[in-house]
Amino acid sequence: MTEPLLQIRGLVRDFDGFRAVDGVDLDVAPGTIHSVIGPNGAGKSTLFALITGEVRPTAGTVVFAGTDLTGRVPHAVTRAGLAKAFQTTNIFPRLTVRESVAAAVLAREGYGRLLGARSRRRIDRDVIELCDTVGLAGQADRVGRELSHGDQRALEIALALATGPRLLLLDEPTAGMSPFETRRVVEQITGLARERGLTVLFSEHDMDTVFGISDEVTVMHQGRVLAHGPAVEVRANREVMSVYLGSEA
Amino acid sequence: MTVLDEKPPTPAPPRMRATAAVRGRTARLVLLLAVLALLAAAPYIATVTTVLTLQEVAALAVFAVAANLLIGQSGLVSFGQAVFFGLGSYTVTLGWEHAGLSFWEGFALAPFLGAAAAAVVGLVALRARTLYFALITLAFSQLFYQLVEQDTGFTGGADGVFAPVVPAWMENPVDGYLTLLGIAVAALAVLRWIQGSNFGLLLRAARENRARVQALGTNVYRLHLLAFTISGAFCALAGAMFVVYNQGSNAELFDWTTSGQPVLMSVIGGMYSFSGPIVGAFVYQFGHDWLVRYVADWQLVLGAVLLLVVLLRPDGLVGAVSKPIRRRRAAEAGTSDEPGEASGD
Repeated sequence: MTEPLLQIRGLVRDFDGFRAVDGVDLDVAPGTIHSVIGPNGAGKSTLFALITGEVRPTAGTVVFAGTDLTGRVPHAVTRAGLAKAFQTTNIFPRLTVRESVAAAVLAREGYGRLLGARSRRRIDRDVIELCDTVGLAGQADRVGRELSHGDQRALEIALALATGPRLLLLDEPTAGMSPFETRRVVEQITGLARERGLTVLFSEHDMDTVFGISDEVTVMHQGRVLAHGPAVEVRANREVMSVYLGSEA
Repeated sequence: MTVLDEKPPTPAPPRMRATAAVRGRTARLVLLLAVLALLAAAPYIATVTTVLTLQEVAALAVFAVAANLLIGQSGLVSFGQAVFFGLGSYTVTLGWEHAGLSFWEGFALAPFLGAAAAAVVGLVALRARTLYFALITLAFSQLFYQLVEQDTGFTGGADGVFAPVVPAWMENPVDGYLTLLGIAVAALAVLRWIQGSNFGLLLRAARENRARVQALGTNVYRLHLLAFTISGAFCALAGAMFVVYNQGSNAELFDWTTSGQPVLMSVIGGMYSFSGPIVGAFVYQFGHDWLVRYVADWQLVLGAVLLLVVLLRPDGLVGAVSKPIRRRRAAEAGTSDEPGEASGD
């Protein structure tokens, strides 16, 4: 196996005596699609927040592309090449799609030396390309809060892509969607990832969604890693089934 | 077409959209030129009292727009911009009294001192958020007020410094006013450019969703510190302009009520548009001058007006006028009925 792009060792996070993440180890190989599954409350979102620096770990390390990112602030993590699309839609309610994506591109580029008009044109080009990629070209002049739920999710992904990540974290990207929508979204995200050579780590509570498209699957339960490995193997694991189907196993 | 939505997007016919946008821009340009012409002609058609009020408005409009870079554009409600306004004013008068600086030398120095002071105050105040940020800025305002008021030797205490600082040719209300008008237009043009720049866009994005901008790779603390510094520089410039009207400096310039003025002007005029605080400055100042003549408790009326604006039109007078126009134009063009605010001025 090649050197992992993301390497997590012994990650722990306590919240007032409650251990949300309990000694998680995780390797994500470059160019793969890796899913973290588990029932609600398994610690998936906390794990993602620990990786992006929104939450500081109690113990453990996060190493990305050979750089130790443990405890770094979110903007530093993003600049290292790791972007996250949020579970709850996290956009700019009063900005247009165009402005939002431009802000995301600028946030990556740094605004200081970008007051000039020439760079503005380059940013506009990036913005148009990103809007096209996620299919928001026709909505470019609408403000965020007016978009449909699906379009808001698309904008959310465009914002994450705008930072030019090597690793894209998707925290339950299909939350609140119908099974049909979910399948479409997941297929389109994976298509996008393969096209752009992105590594994707995503979390999902519904296991049927992920097995078809994931290279690797990690199962979390009560803050711990219960199982991990290639999707087919994890699927056959009886312990995993018991977490999902009840405790009869 | 859309990744996550089946509904096909409905782009407006491009030609119609372009014409609507061009028409809007032309209309705004014509309106701007008409207002500027009217303001330039004011000394020849209005009374001296009005011209003097217009002097005040010129300085206060710059003050309000500079403060609104924080209040409306960044979502940082500062109740301490009087620190920089007062500092700008005192730079001119104390520079004249103690360092032998001419009016224009002090005037040129004011924005730099304002920026430096703002960088220091911002370093501390921006550690806090929302209400705590407002309270810290308020505390700075009162601290400066006390310092200036009590130190009678250097600053002239509560009486302030009133001396013939302003060049003799500007003593004439008309010349003073036209000079201030020119400076105000130049300063507002620069502020407009800043607001329309990439930096301005990031400020609005951080106002909408601070954590998201942080997650996208920007250090929002530094972003806000830069905004605070720029705002301080222009507040100080406005303070220096105010000397022409005030003919001196007094401690009250540092008082929290002075800090409150640009906040009120921004709310009345509309803090999400560029021109809102300017309209607010006009309405506030002329309203004040008119009210004090007839009503003893003019603050009572001010309070009522503020309540009405906040309850009925949170986007202020400018929002009340521009929104229906935009909505109609958008309906004609078949796009969203609520375009982004960046285009608004």
